[in-house]
Amino acid sequence: MLVRLTFGSLLSAATLILAGPAGAETLNVATAGDQNMVDYVKDYLGPMFEKTHPGVKVVAVGTGPGDAGSQKIYEKLSAQKQAGAAAWDFDVVVAHQKMAGQMVKEGLLDKYRAGIPTGALVTRDTAENALGADVGGFVMPMFHSQTAIAYNADMVKTPPASYSELVEWVKKNPKQFGYNGIKGGMSGVAFVTGWIYAFGGNTDRLLKGPYDETTKAAWDKALADLKDFNRNAVITPGNAGTLDMLNRGEIAMGPVWVDMFYSWQAEGKLPPSMKLKLVAPGMPGQPMYYAIPAKAPQTKLAAEFIALATSPAVQAEGIVKRFNWYPGIDAQHLQGKLEPATWQKLFADITPEDLSSKGKPFPIAPYFNDILESYEKKVAN
Amino acid sequence: MDRERPSLAGFLLVAPALAMVGALFLYPLGYSLSAAFTGPDGRPTLAHFGKAFELYSGDILFTIFIVVVSTAATAAVAIAIAGILVLGRPGRAVALLGWLYRFPLFIPFIVAGQCMRTFLAKNGLMNNSLVALGLIDPGQGASLLDWRGIVITFVWKQVPFVTLLLAGAMAALDRATIDAARNLGAGRVRTLFDVVLPQVMPNLTVALTLSFVTMLSVLSVPMMVAGSQPTMLTVDMAFRINAYGDYATANALGVLSYAMTAAAAFLYLRHGLRTGVLR
Repeated sequence: MLVRLTFGSLLSAATLILAGPAGAETLNVATAGDQNMVDYVKDYLGPMFEKTHPGVKVVAVGTGPGDAGSQKIYEKLSAQKQAGAAAWDFDVVVAHQKMAGQMVKEGLLDKYRAGIPTGALVTRDTAENALGADVGGFVMPMFHSQTAIAYNADMVKTPPASYSELVEWVKKNPKQFGYNGIKGGMSGVAFVTGWIYAFGGNTDRLLKGPYDETTKAAWDKALADLKDFNRNAVITPGNAGTLDMLNRGEIAMGPVWVDMFYSWQAEGKLPPSMKLKLVAPGMPGQPMYYAIPAKAPQTKLAAEFIALATSPAVQAEGIVKRFNWYPGIDAQHLQGKLEPATWQKLFADITPEDLSSKGKPFPIAPYFNDILESYEKKVAN
Repeated sequence: MDRERPSLAGFLLVAPALAMVGALFLYPLGYSLSAAFTGPDGRPTLAHFGKAFELYSGDILFTIFIVVVSTAATAAVAIAIAGILVLGRPGRAVALLGWLYRFPLFIPFIVAGQCMRTFLAKNGLMNNSLVALGLIDPGQGASLLDWRGIVITFVWKQVPFVTLLLAGAMAALDRATIDAARNLGAGRVRTLFDVVLPQVMPNLTVALTLSFVTMLSVLSVPMMVAGSQPTMLTVDMAFRINAYGDYATANALGVLSYAMTAAAAFLYLRHGLRTGVLR
């Protein structure tokens, strides 16, 4: 009896969800990423959009963190395309670079960017190129997250400005620099990728292709040096492990995600003396994209939703102020929309010029895997 | 006689259990074994093992080292606690110990890992407490967030389990042998090692074998407590799958883990069959 009751209520709940609120238009937004991404749409963007569009209900669905979350969005759209469905389930999708490229290649997305007013505000090259795939016109960056070197300004008066200076610094200050290797989260992966950009040569090819499997042979010297470098570095347990050790004063410097860094600092989990430095020639970061599926049921509403989400006001208040991400549109359009203090905070250590000259994308997928595996082979083992 | 003939009804009775073991254990085991030895072209190959050794030989040795050291340390601490419980002068302290030592049994590995991560850090709770007590100078404390942290966490977590089995077996012994040894002038330590321990050896071996296998399979502790270079095979397997979607090499690493547990299982079976624990 109990079982039947539960099953029955599940069924009716499912029916309710499928039917949606009676008489209202529903805008289904599927977002990959952590819970904060779902909350951002559900609690912030959704209500704002509903206010300007009476009768519309925004429904946010989370598909899970990381590339795996984007993979789920792709699989769903791909399946609906193959099944020949006339209208697909999602109106707006928020996805990572790798899968966005894949979806464009397979014709799963709508080329909407030229049709919305904020489309012209985008300048970063990640809006055109997603890990080697041409996504120009199909995506709007929602935000950009960047890695950088965090340092304790009390312990380090003049932080290294480049990878080469960092190498010298670590020689003079053994065990004062820490990063999490490549198995403990992306901040360590980003540090290693930046190392290859700095010392491996031919960065342009890593970013744009074409892929050549012999390229990695040129990294031997860089990787041997990195192994040497590691002798004087601390390997921390995870992205948060690096921040923890910085906080406890156990290391003076380490690579971090900028948004995590500022969020931790705002929560008092990092002292105010911590600062950021984006070292030359650059470290990687990544955007997440807003896109519209090719057969979204509500194309027009979806485009309006994305236009709102990428408007300077929302990018300033939601993306920069609330979540400490860098804006998806060009930062210059936000100046004036933000209180000076918030602007100062986000761009004090890393200027917009730094960001555009030293904020690099990750390499194209096959080179990315090559970097990880070469590291495992020549540095970690 | 009649009862021993296999009957259809009997078979039907165990069939669901057999199907369960087959579907949830034997099938995945066979699948991962065959995947470890099969190349992308479907032909048998040892290439995945070549890759596993090329990339992770250090981690393979590290894993064996961690698990062997942890098992030995667990044995030492468990014998000490069980010895005190059984041979110590009955009193409040012993009663308290008997009550306290079980606590880690109920704490999951991942929670233990999370606690140790802040407890064992250079400026973590442990060193800060030692500094506050005046036992060490600030700056003198070292971070234990490396192999030592993993071993400490494993021992902390496995000691109660081994002690539980060991103390139970010791308590079930004939007290007369202990009293006789004590009457003849043997000290407590000598009684423990010469009289009590030999009688409970099978139980100790079984408990340690099970601990060994458990520790070999834990992912959360090496991931949370220590950095990833070197690390244990579980972390490498997870990374192979999460970063590259490379199940083949992950399976090859899995087969290496089976080989380690098989060595432990061999000890367990040999002891079990010889002493009749398993019969």
